[in-house]
Amino acid sequence: MNCEQARLLIGADPRSSAAQLAAHLGVCPACTQLREEMLAFETRIERALQQPPDLARVRSRRQLPQWREWALAASVLVGLAAVLGLWLLRPSDTLAHDIVAHVQHEPDSWLSAHEVNAQGIGDALHGAGVALDLTSDKITYAQSCWFHGHYVPHLVVQTAQGPATVLILRHEQVPGARSFHEAGLNGVIVPAAAGRGSIAVLAHGAGVEAVAHQMQQDVRWLPEPP
Amino acid sequence: MRNPEPDSPVLSIGGRLPGAASGAPITRLFESLRPDLVRFAHWLARDRALAEDIVQESLLRAWRYRDALKDPAAARPWLLTIVRREHARMYERKRLELVPLEDIADTYADPKAADTEDDLFALRHGIMRLPLEYREPLVLQVLGGFSTEEIAQELQLSSTAVLTRLFRARNKLRVLCGMAGVPDGAGSEAGQP
Repeated sequence: MNCEQARLLIGADPRSSAAQLAAHLGVCPACTQLREEMLAFETRIERALQQPPDLARVRSRRQLPQWREWALAASVLVGLAAVLGLWLLRPSDTLAHDIVAHVQHEPDSWLSAHEVNAQGIGDALHGAGVALDLTSDKITYAQSCWFHGHYVPHLVVQTAQGPATVLILRHEQVPGARSFHEAGLNGVIVPAAAGRGSIAVLAHGAGVEAVAHQMQQDVRWLPEPP
Repeated sequence: MRNPEPDSPVLSIGGRLPGAASGAPITRLFESLRPDLVRFAHWLARDRALAEDIVQESLLRAWRYRDALKDPAAARPWLLTIVRREHARMYERKRLELVPLEDIADTYADPKAADTEDDLFALRHGIMRLPLEYREPLVLQVLGGFSTEEIAQELQLSSTAVLTRLFRARNKLRVLCGMAGVPDGAGSEAGQP
């Protein structure tokens, strides 16, 4: 009997008393060691087979510890909250999406560092029938842009959180303030304080609500041209 | 050692063997072996309730053909053989509802585990996870006390094929318990009759 045959027999029947195996073990320490291992393992197998598994114990083992259940529940809630948040922050309608697209179409507006003078601001506001009570915020971009069939003032205001784009939308009505997040921009559209029209503010950072609130106070509608 | 196992079906008679009330010796002998038979059937069927059904059917069958048992000392292997065949018949008769493996197989043992209850727990579930072709000869050998030749005859395999299956069954369990597998030089299971 060679080692391969001995290993097969030892693995298949560790308690085998075959004479050929005994003869081989007498001259092969490696197979002797394997047999000792297998005999010890066989004792464990015999003990294990005396009692089939208790499925109830398995199921109880499979139950998570209580803290893990709570952690799991919490993670599910966080996930749901995140989904809900994304849903709420999505562009609520075509208006928000179009505002984002328009701003992205004028990337240079973010780059200007020079304050626009009163004349430049006036030119941007005039065609839209808008007046702006200037605040301390610095306006670095002011254009009159064609948007949804009307000229609208497109401003960039420098704030402590960075530049924020403002679109003053005299002809766009919104029932209430609504936030959105798209293309890395945080945005909010709020009704204008004058009772009609709306103001959209976008920024890469935070603080759009504060700018929008300020603009609600600063914007006034001029009589529409006949 | 072996007694022929009858093939004719028997009727269930409510969970007790005929003659149980009167304490007939053959009935007492069968009933005394019932725990062993249920354990054996449990390992084959992997379900306690199913094992009870198999044993009940087997004992009824054995009682009906009790005259075939010439030597009461051979009752245990005779009954184990009937149980094994009844289990095989159940698989042939109907597609059994399988016990989900995840229910019985939270099994991977801690390689560092000593011979503790947890170690046995993992080993038991490792055995349950073995495919029937490996589990059946192992249980026949270790629990049933059958020799390689007897297992070969019962499973209609060659002795070499039985040795190979037994070798591989233990090797899988070794690996499952974090031990090194023994090099498998067994080759294929040639020589099946």
